Parts: sequence; structure tokens; C-alpha cells
Amino acid sequence: MDNFGFLFAANAFVWGGIIYYVYTLKQRSRELEKDLELLKETLSRESR
Amino acid sequence: MNQETTEESNEESYILVWLTGIVFLVAMAAIFLYVPTEQTEGPVQRIMYIHIPSAWLSFFAFFIVFICSILFLWKKEREWDIYAYASAEIGVIFCSLVLITGPIWAKPIWGTWWVWDARLTSTLILWLIYVAYLMLRAQTDAGSMRARYAAVLGIVGFLNIPFIHFSVLWWRTFHPQPKVISSEGFGKGMETSMLITLGISLCAFTLLYFLLMGQRVRQEKLKDEIDSLKREQLYSS
Repeated sequence: MDNFGFLFAANAFVWGGIIYYVYTLKQRSRELEKDLELLKETLSRESR
Repeated sequence: MNQETTEESNEESYILVWLTGIVFLVAMAAIFLYVPTEQTEGPVQRIMYIHIPSAWLSFFAFFIVFICSILFLWKKEREWDIYAYASAEIGVIFCSLVLITGPIWAKPIWGTWWVWDARLTSTLILWLIYVAYLMLRAQTDAGSMRARYAAVLGIVGFLNIPFIHFSVLWWRTFHPQPKVISSEGFGKGMETSMLITLGISLCAFTLLYFLLMGQRVRQEKLKDEIDSLKREQLYSS
């Protein structure tokens, strides 16, 4: 039985899913770091 | 967090990224080059080497939710709530992959994408419970009550996992019986090369779990830091 299509589809879903999740994690982290920097800057400016 | 601690944790996560990458490459080589093709199912049987590790990872992640939820209810420390939340998200992602790869494997072997047997149905219920857990966290306001409700759901949801494991033994199901941990003994129902390949793949997925957890926990801590700075800004103005 040759069912390479099914094997390919399963791998595509798993790898696609993992890569997409890692990508969204990186994006979220970058946004949070940017927010944090901005807040720290604002706070230090206000305290001066 | 001081700079020295941040640098140390960055170095650790860098090592973990490389280690996970290398073990995944070895796992892929074992899946596609080393392990022989199974005679009755053909190449599609190789889905097993990503389906079982995904299931293992999701069960492990939900076990961590269970433990951390108990610890949160007991000690009332935010740290445990963060770990439980991060682990639940990873668990749901990999449980989704189990529910996707399972039907893809089932179609050519069983002739159908889905059957409402005990194993498949209880896995779907597990997924729904933890999706509800994430929705509860997203829809309710931050605070100790949200964390408490989530912890209770996280504990209750885990009780489904032993049921999933034993479902294939208690009822006659389409899903095959456990081969790695079976009544015949550890790994007795499987050929050595298949067992080695599955072992490497399980290691790779476990490392990936710790890598993702590190990232997710760091994010939640950053969010907490942002919230406390926002409060500080609000009170100072």
C-alpha cells in the first residue's frame, strides 16, 4: 500500500503547526519587549 | 530580573534550541531512513512516530497543568498559575495535532476519517476541556478568582487522561491497544528499530515542550511586569 499523500499531509500539519506556533510566540515576545521598553522610558521621563 | 540571570537563561535556552534541533534531525533521519517500512500498513504507518509523541507531549503538558494547579490552590503563588497556563496552551496545540494526524492515519487503514469509539471520543473531550480552560482564562478578568476557576478546571480535565489510556482495554475499539507499555511488558509489542525510532522522537518532542514552556513562561512574566509598571504609572500620574 502506497499512501505517501497521507504521510505527507500528517507531516505537513505537524511541522506547519509547530513552525506557526513558534513564529507567533516570537512575534508576541517581540511585541511585549517593545511595550516594556516603551513603558520604562515613559516612566523614567515622568520621574525626571 | 537582573542582567546576569537574563544572560544565563538566554545561554541555557540557546543550548536547548540547538539540542532540540539536533534531536529532531536525528528523529527525522530515523523515521525516513532508518526504520523499515511496516509490511501491512506501508509508508503511512510512519505517521505513528509523530502521532504518539504528539499525544505524549499533550498528556505530559496536561499533567504539568494538573500538578501546577494543585500547587497554585495550595500555595496561592502566581508562579504556579503561570506554569499551568503556559502548559495548557502547549497541551492544546499538541492535542489538536493528535486529533488531526489520527484521522489522516485512520483513513487509509480503517477506511474512515473518524469513528466514535471510546479512545477517539475521550481524546476529543480532553481537547474540548482544555480549550474551555483557555477560553475561561481569555474571557474572565485577571485576578485570583480567574486563576482559581482555571486551576479547578485544569485538575478536573486531567482526570480524563487515565480514562483515555485504559479505554482501549476496557472497550472494544477501532484504535489499537498500547504497544509500548503493554501487558506483555515494556516494548514487547514492537520491533527494536521501531522502538528506538519512537524513543528518539519522544525525546525530541519532550525537549520541544521544555523549549516552548521556557518561551511561554517568559512571556507571562513580561506581561506581569508590564501590568505592574502600568499600575505604577497610573498611581504616579
